[in-house]
Amino acid sequence: MMSEHHGHHVASAKQLWGIGIALLILTVLTVTVAGLGLPSPFDILMAMTIALTKAFLVAAFFMGLYWDTKFNSMLLIGALAFFILMVSITLLDTLYRDDVVPSF
Amino acid sequence: MANHSATHPKHVHHHFVDSNQQFESAKLGMWVFLVNEILFFGGLFCAYIVFRAWYPELFTQAALELNTFWGAVNTVVLIGSSLTVAMAIRSAQNNQKRGLEINLLITILLACVFLVIKYFEYEHKLHLGIAPGSFWNPTPEIAAVLDHPKANIFFGIYYMMTAVHGLHVIIGIVLMVWLYLRARKGHFNSEYYTPVEITGLYWHLVDLIWIFLFPLLYLIE
Repeated sequence: MMSEHHGHHVASAKQLWGIGIALLILTVLTVTVAGLGLPSPFDILMAMTIALTKAFLVAAFFMGLYWDTKFNSMLLIGALAFFILMVSITLLDTLYRDDVVPSF
Repeated sequence: MANHSATHPKHVHHHFVDSNQQFESAKLGMWVFLVNEILFFGGLFCAYIVFRAWYPELFTQAALELNTFWGAVNTVVLIGSSLTVAMAIRSAQNNQKRGLEINLLITILLACVFLVIKYFEYEHKLHLGIAPGSFWNPTPEIAAVLDHPKANIFFGIYYMMTAVHGLHVIIGIVLMVWLYLRARKGHFNSEYYTPVEITGLYWHLVDLIWIFLFPLLYLIE
């Protein structure tokens, strides 16, 4: 058990810079891949895979979820689950309309 | 019931068991707020997905009007500011008052750079009549290359998402200035740096949203 006042994880400067540099490399990668002009749907899949990897690095290490109580991770995952639910239910309507609402 | 103030550090409120419980509660509260933020932006991402599924060709056409270079620069700027916020928290945890102040100042500076770049992007587009919704009034040159009847819808989504994100950046700057002023007064140390920690969480979320906005808006030509 960690002591009362020093129970918080202190990330090392090296760790934080490592994450920052990894995020920069992934940014360069996503711009490069976008320039290749991959056929759909691989372009969007690739872009989202890289974005999700970056999001994971930020959430796990900059936001400290990796060292944090699991409950906070559960909140984030819960938010994403409800977002997916919202999008899915909406698409069940909008993807299967015979005619898109004309004024839209 | 002995004298509480004799056993508790000054910053611990009466209704918390100890400093750590108070810190964890504040962080939990911030995470609940971030859940709300994710679902708030989620509504906008949902609109994006629905319209992109309806008009895929519109999105690839219209994205050509967005400047990938400046979008990428702003991505790097925000990642840099996330790093300095993380370093600011680390400084507070190590009782480095000067490091905390400097990292907060760099974060404020980077956030301002982001907004200045965004301002020039908006200004350039509005000058060409690339405006959202019913304000859509493109110059003949733009109308020639972007003749999609729903072009105004794409820019409605673009302006809404980036402006709401920009508003979060402005709020973040205000919070960072507040943190900087408190840091100068020596309010934060390894025992108590809760405001730095939870503002940091907020700032990282602003970065996270941009991590998705950048490829979805700028990188789809």
